[in-house]
Amino acid sequence: MLIRLTPRATLAAAVLSALALTASACGSDGGSDTTGSDSPSGAADLNLISDGTLTVCSDVPYPPFENFDKTTDTGFAGFDVDIVNAIAEQLDLQVQIKDSDFNALQSGLALASGQCDMAASAMTITPEREQKLGFSDGYYDSEQSLLVPADSSITSIDDLDGVKVGVQKGTTGEAYTNENASGADVVVFPSDGEMYAAIKAGQVEALLQDLPVNLDHQNDPKAAGEFKVVETYDTGESYGLAMKKDNTSLIDAVNEALATMKDDGDYEKIYDTYFATDQ
Amino acid sequence: MSLKRATKRRLRDGVAYAVLLAVVAIVVVTADRDAISKNFLDGDTWKGLWPDIVLIAAKNTVKYTVIAFAGGIALALVLALMRLSPLRLYRWLATVYIEFFRGLPALVVIIFMALGVPLAFGWTAPGGTIGAGLIALIMVSGAYMAETLRAGIQAVPKGQREAAQSLGMNGFWTMVTVTLPQAVRIVIPPLTNELILLVKDTSLLTFVGMQYDQVELTSFGQQGLVNYSNASPLLAIALVYLVISIPASQLVAFLERRQQRAAR
Repeated sequence: MLIRLTPRATLAAAVLSALALTASACGSDGGSDTTGSDSPSGAADLNLISDGTLTVCSDVPYPPFENFDKTTDTGFAGFDVDIVNAIAEQLDLQVQIKDSDFNALQSGLALASGQCDMAASAMTITPEREQKLGFSDGYYDSEQSLLVPADSSITSIDDLDGVKVGVQKGTTGEAYTNENASGADVVVFPSDGEMYAAIKAGQVEALLQDLPVNLDHQNDPKAAGEFKVVETYDTGESYGLAMKKDNTSLIDAVNEALATMKDDGDYEKIYDTYFATDQ
Repeated sequence: MSLKRATKRRLRDGVAYAVLLAVVAIVVVTADRDAISKNFLDGDTWKGLWPDIVLIAAKNTVKYTVIAFAGGIALALVLALMRLSPLRLYRWLATVYIEFFRGLPALVVIIFMALGVPLAFGWTAPGGTIGAGLIALIMVSGAYMAETLRAGIQAVPKGQREAAQSLGMNGFWTMVTVTLPQAVRIVIPPLTNELILLVKDTSLLTFVGMQYDQVELTSFGQQGLVNYSNASPLLAIALVYLVISIPASQLVAFLERRQQRAAR
């Protein structure tokens, strides 16, 4: 397997790789969002690309973390979106969200090229990414999971020898599968959209990816009882909000806001909206 | 006052060369050589790509291209003959097929064949998603090449067919031994063009999922971008694509020259 992580990333690499991967150039420069509030009272300069507005890039859709929702102010909904909204509220900022390409986010291009102040896209904090991005404290503990058809005989990662397992390119799930599922035929897809279609079509026999996404498939009302999550894996990793590495004032402000949310129960309220389980 | 024509031409050429030189100079000066060598010419990355870039990725690109082209041309031949058939039903079917598949993006057909058809019919193509994707490429390239082939058949002078008939050959025999051999010579350049397009269209197969031993050049390069956090894999696969496609286009040029001579 040629999964070798030699992080030697620089800005230009990020720029070029993202270009190559057709970074969706979210062209719109929200010019219309003049805010009622002045620059955050008492706070240090947050170096935002547009004053008074927290511009956030996210690879949408990735439910339940981010999805399109015309009924909301931002036009987006999801766990990440709610977290970002709550942070912005504390910092007295408006929120503008832009749909972006995940590779542009994880490579740092979207931030470096001034498209947004923050990437909130269910992004796991990894040492490789930390070289290019400045992460907030973790706001969600990511777990990986194995989804199989309900009638499958696969019950754990040890049963994957010779089995086609769908993973998403460049994700923690892909790395985890390559390290831990010995003998598995790892099939790499561009996104969960193709992966879910592939397991429904019988082209792969299992999906290994983030737990919430697999849970969504398990609970898919249109395919009730067809798929089940048989195993979850604690990778000891968590999702972080990514910002420009040198924008420490913004990172500090975000961390402070996250801490406040966790203290006053706002975080738990948002968490339960999406992940309240009876497991 | 009036300059000699030769002088004028020399002046004009001089300006053209000066502009070209200026452009080259700007490119050389503005390029960040340090960044380029760090990001595109990273030695460790290049070493890491070798030899899989040739033994797996390039091999698969060529393999997928050959399969799609061979299948496509067989399908195209059937479609072209149907379009020229005296039977209206055949003509109609072929026209509908060609218009349908020329009107769809290859990517849509690939995803539909690999992920949609198994859902709808419970039938999985041999070779999994890649097999299904290749069938889709055959279906699409067949539609394009059918029109080329039909034009080639129609370009064969009518006198050839009439002569064959006057010798007592039947329609099928005339087509196989007289018309088609001449038509194929006419359409070789445009068909080779289609081959070069197919080399690049194989990159679309990445959308339906690939195992490591199935990757073609583009998905190999994309995985490299992620694994090495470095743009070198991109330059590497670009070079390999050129190694494949430039000889192919030279071949087209050669065949074109030869055909022009033969036609005289």
